[in-house]
Amino acid sequence: MLDIKNLKSRIGDSEILRGLSLSVNAGEVHAIMGPNGSGKSTLAQVVAGHQDYIVTGGSVTFNGRDLLELEPEERAREGIFLGFQYPVEIPGVNNAYLLKAALNAKRKHHGLDEIDAFEFLKLAKEKMATLGMDPKFLNRGVNEGFSGGEKKRNEILQMAMLEPELAILDETDSGLDIDALKAVAQGVNALRSPERAIILVTHYQRLLDYIEPDFVHVLSQGQIIKSGDKTLAFELEKKGYDWVREAANG
Amino acid sequence: MTQASTDKLREIVGRLPTTRDEDWKYTDLSRARDITSRWLDAGAETVAAETGDEIDRITGSIDATWFVIANGELRLPAEAMGVTAERLDDVPAADNALAELNSALLVDGLQIRIGGAPEKPIGLLFVDGAADAATSQARVEIEFEVGAEGSVVEYHASLGAADHYANTIVAINVGDNAVAHHLRIQARDLRHVQTSRTTVSAGRDARFDSAGFDLGGGLVRNDLVVDIAKPGADVSFDGLYLAGDGQHIDNHTRVDHRVGPAISKQEYRGILNGKCRCVWNGKAIVHEGADGTDADQANHNLLLSEKAEIDAKPELEIYTDDVKCSHGTTVGQLDETALFYLRSRGLDRQHAKRVLTHAFAAGLVSRVPVESAKDAVSSLVEARLAVIIHSDEDYLQ
Repeated sequence: MLDIKNLKSRIGDSEILRGLSLSVNAGEVHAIMGPNGSGKSTLAQVVAGHQDYIVTGGSVTFNGRDLLELEPEERAREGIFLGFQYPVEIPGVNNAYLLKAALNAKRKHHGLDEIDAFEFLKLAKEKMATLGMDPKFLNRGVNEGFSGGEKKRNEILQMAMLEPELAILDETDSGLDIDALKAVAQGVNALRSPERAIILVTHYQRLLDYIEPDFVHVLSQGQIIKSGDKTLAFELEKKGYDWVREAANG
Repeated sequence: MTQASTDKLREIVGRLPTTRDEDWKYTDLSRARDITSRWLDAGAETVAAETGDEIDRITGSIDATWFVIANGELRLPAEAMGVTAERLDDVPAADNALAELNSALLVDGLQIRIGGAPEKPIGLLFVDGAADAATSQARVEIEFEVGAEGSVVEYHASLGAADHYANTIVAINVGDNAVAHHLRIQARDLRHVQTSRTTVSAGRDARFDSAGFDLGGGLVRNDLVVDIAKPGADVSFDGLYLAGDGQHIDNHTRVDHRVGPAISKQEYRGILNGKCRCVWNGKAIVHEGADGTDADQANHNLLLSEKAEIDAKPELEIYTDDVKCSHGTTVGQLDETALFYLRSRGLDRQHAKRVLTHAFAAGLVSRVPVESAKDAVSSLVEARLAVIIHSDEDYLQ
């Protein structure tokens, strides 16, 4: 589904990704772990199409299409969803409006009619209930005045509504209390299916107790230096990142 | 009311403010002088433009007791519930050339007294426009009696396609313990020039809650002057100006805190696109002894085109110690992070820009102080934004 080959990227003058390769197939859950500054968030932003990250080499294909040629909105409509590490507050735009506009943009792209108001509301309330979100959040400004946990739940709500083929969740676990973490994990697990793939970008192993990954990759200095199954996450938790780095260098 | 001689009028026109006056540095009234001179040259005859159903359309859009002042001529409503209205006989001595021009050419002044809590807002429709270039004056004095609560909606509109200069004065006296809600909508034609001056005097524990929306006009200058001479006043005023190609909109505000405690808060926002210029100058003067003053002013501008210009200036003059004053001014473009966020959800760039621009205005629309006018303001703002946003190629890049 997603094929990243020897990807190099910089922001401003600093080179962040230095030849990263990763292959993700439908039905898989990948966890990307690594210390701060290793390039985890950059990878997520590059795949989503953030303009500040300049791709200087390599390729990214999504279902065989050159992803790097597409605008961020085209990537979203093709089925890529990025859950932001820091979801943006947009006062004056209500949550329901954004959810509906996003859903309709995708439906239109796939030749479907716009969702009717009744269906939309029913669907949104259903998804909110599973995430433990008060339906009142629909009428609030996007992330406006939301707590850290509420923002992350809101990201998961958007994901649940859009049903992406590939979801990349950037540090979705950071700043969450245990209840919010469980709600978020439940939202992610509900999306798991043989047709979809999920990439979890995380600093800690904690999230992986609730969402079991098929693969774990360690990112360091813009490259994947070790890959393994979920046991790698436990090992990292115990031994820290230096252990992998030394092993990789040695 | 006898009108002044043409010579006297020309003399007054010659003394209208120029850009050499500090308060008028960015706003050139040459067009107002020119229109008035042409009108005087043509014999100072005003042949009203065809009104069609424009007046009915406006008065029908907001449920209010409407007083229509068309080219300076007053039409009283059939019934004015809960208020006393009469023609204004005495006009106070003018202290500047604009007020002199207003006095000299005033056809009908209007005086309104609001007691108790009238059910409907008072609507003042200033609608101007003649078959040829012309100038018109309006003056309204509004008294909110002690303990009264009511709303006033000023609506400034244009008729016809000829050049026009409208000069309006509205004086509002908010009595002790009274609550005044005030809304000003300016949706004039781009060929029209407007100078409007609203003065507010706030009584003891009085509340004045105001919002102004500049949605049109070729050359517009609004002055809002608030005087707090008794303690306990709570004054707040918002302003939103939307400017596109060929527009010049200037908002000058001044609050005099003569005593404390009292609160004044103002927030002006502007959205500018295309070749246009806007001015915001907010002056707050905290006089000696006005302890317990809380004065806050904010001005935020969204510049969507490189050709747009804003001159923003907060001015705080503080002559006492026990005060809380703050001001903030920002000028910027749309937030790229927010744009990316929306695009990453599938909204295309234009759609995302439109959403963020509307959101910038929405904050003030949601605070419109006259509840029954909220929907009307909201659709006027939406409609004007749609025109401004689509008028400029820059925006679509």
